[in-house]
Amino acid sequence: MKLSGAEIVIRQLEAHGVTTVFGYPGGAVLTLYDELYKASDRIHHVLTAHEQGAAHAADGYARVTGKTGVVIATSGPGATNLVTGIANAYLDSVPMVAITGNVAVPMLGRDSFQEVNIAGITNSIVKHNYVVRDIEELEETLREAFYIASSGRCGPVLVDIPKNIQSEKCEYAGKSPIPATNTPCVFDIAEIADIIARSERPLIYAGGGVIASGAQDKLLELSEKLAAPVGLSLMGLGALSSDYPLNLGLKGMHGGYASNMAAAECDLLIAAGTRFSDRATGDVGEYEKSKTIIHIDIDNAEISKNVSSNIEICGDVKDVLTQLIPKVQAKSHEKWTTRITELVKEQKKQEQGYAVPEAFSPKNIIEAVCNNFDEDTVVATDVGQHQMWTAQYYKLRKPRTLLTSGGLGAMGYGLGAAIGGCFARNKGRTVLITGDGSFGMNLNELATAVTNKLPIVIIILNNQTLGLPYQWQSMFYEQRYSQSIMNRKTDFAALAQAFGARGHRIENLKSLKEVLENLSDGIPTVIDCPIGGDELVLPMIPPGGSIKDMVVGG
Amino acid sequence: MEKFTVELLVENKYGVLNRITALYAKRGYNIDSLYVHATEDASLSRMLITSTGDDYIRIQMVKQISKLYDVRQVILMTEVKIKI
Ligand SMILES: Cc1ncc(C[n+]2csc(CCOP(=O)(O)OP(=O)(O)O)c2C)c(N)n1
Repeated sequence: MKLSGAEIVIRQLEAHGVTTVFGYPGGAVLTLYDELYKASDRIHHVLTAHEQGAAHAADGYARVTGKTGVVIATSGPGATNLVTGIANAYLDSVPMVAITGNVAVPMLGRDSFQEVNIAGITNSIVKHNYVVRDIEELEETLREAFYIASSGRCGPVLVDIPKNIQSEKCEYAGKSPIPATNTPCVFDIAEIADIIARSERPLIYAGGGVIASGAQDKLLELSEKLAAPVGLSLMGLGALSSDYPLNLGLKGMHGGYASNMAAAECDLLIAAGTRFSDRATGDVGEYEKSKTIIHIDIDNAEISKNVSSNIEICGDVKDVLTQLIPKVQAKSHEKWTTRITELVKEQKKQEQGYAVPEAFSPKNIIEAVCNNFDEDTVVATDVGQHQMWTAQYYKLRKPRTLLTSGGLGAMGYGLGAAIGGCFARNKGRTVLITGDGSFGMNLNELATAVTNKLPIVIIILNNQTLGLPYQWQSMFYEQRYSQSIMNRKTDFAALAQAFGARGHRIENLKSLKEVLENLSDGIPTVIDCPIGGDELVLPMIPPGGSIKDMVVGG
Repeated sequence: MEKFTVELLVENKYGVLNRITALYAKRGYNIDSLYVHATEDASLSRMLITSTGDDYIRIQMVKQISKLYDVRQVILMTEVKIKI
């Protein structure tokens, strides 16, 4: 059967189970959009306000569902607007296929109207990319693209399809997707079981790889069996319920006192599905000291890249833990357990110092928001202090419920991601916790949320500053607040209403709870929460520092 | 720091060299010499890339290059001295 390139794209999307795509049309993808129009009963296309929003939405959708997110953009500016979204997916290992149009093949390389070499531009932020110069290659290219995006360590793949390729025709074979290969990981189980048996103070450090591989139950099992506390990376949040007593929560620069102290005092660190980001380790020399490190990761290049490990296991976390758990002995170590209890107690005490009860403070606001929604509610953040407070205080109970820009730290991620997450939950209630700075980078997507009747609740922790730079300037630049005080006069409640959303400005916890209890369905609600400008995210280990430099404050 | 050479078997396509050299550029490693030629198999070409680095750099480069989809084989060459 002969099909046009655009038809082949639709067939391949369907073959890969794609039902929702995000994007924005333009000259170089009109042929593809024509086919999307005809396929609209099978593939729902969500039109965003900006291609960056579409890319973040595809990312949020992928994180919640575990499926590959798809974003479509036109050539030139459409393609360049995707770049931040693609980089974000790359650094957080999110499966994504980005489809861009381009000028017709004979026009490539002539600086034609709206031509950019998007493959060249994205080379270092994709797992792989393609320029399809021959219609005969299109079907196979798309099969490979979906395979690469979702296999091994997930990530984005870009497929650039020149305009003429979308309308040319060729024989369509209709092959099914390339099946995932799961060769079990081979490693010296006995040696590891022995190291674990000898350890007196084990700590598990879990990252996003645990969630990506669906290993959350195995993580819990291992922790219980070894009576080992668990620290999480930002990407690992949600891998264990925050109700679980041995879950010490976020570790790293703004991690909790207990998890960072435990990392400094443990004699064995079992790192699973994490890449030891500099934000998580600080000074690597100090970090590696006096402990044995077992590193399990699916990406061989991550092993001993940032932290040198004693035992290297390259494999899928779920597979490795499934093999390992039956072979390790159950452990108990009273001294270590007592020590962990002490650390957690100390952390609770510190946290009380960060928030006066009933004050309209970040901690109290986030806890009130968290208490209002069930454990399946997806919560997105932007980037800054509000993101770290959310990571510290929002009690996540399930994997795939937190959408946050970890590796790239991209302000402007939040609303697009929340939109994708909301679609992934069949337009169920979704929360975005953002800052006044970040919200200014993506608020155009309120239009998308209104048009699509998405019940997203947007909490703006409005401190009138670019809080994180402001905090660094207050701590490391002698209070020279260079360009971090915004002093804007934006009325966010009125702005929300102008977009057709609900808007409130709230000044105390009681009114916040009232608004949260009376949310309307099928419409986004913006809740502007003015907070003090001098609130700090604590504790903090200064960049490149170690546990000895931790600022606890309070 | 020592000189080290990797021998690669890669897809014979446009853009492949670009991806490989970009990995060196990203980490700031200079390429001292680069040699590319076609092979008996028209779909593959062979590259020899010499650079300078310690053990960490050598291992990282091999691991990173191995992740590229256009690369079929990576061999880290050790210097062999032949007496005649
Ligand atoms: C796109 C982008 N530009 C700049 C930064 C640097 N940056 C990190 S946090 C931050 C301030 C964020 O301000 P806001 O959204 O109001 O959050 P707050 O820290 O006040 O909670 C800035 C400018 C960034 N992370 N991303």
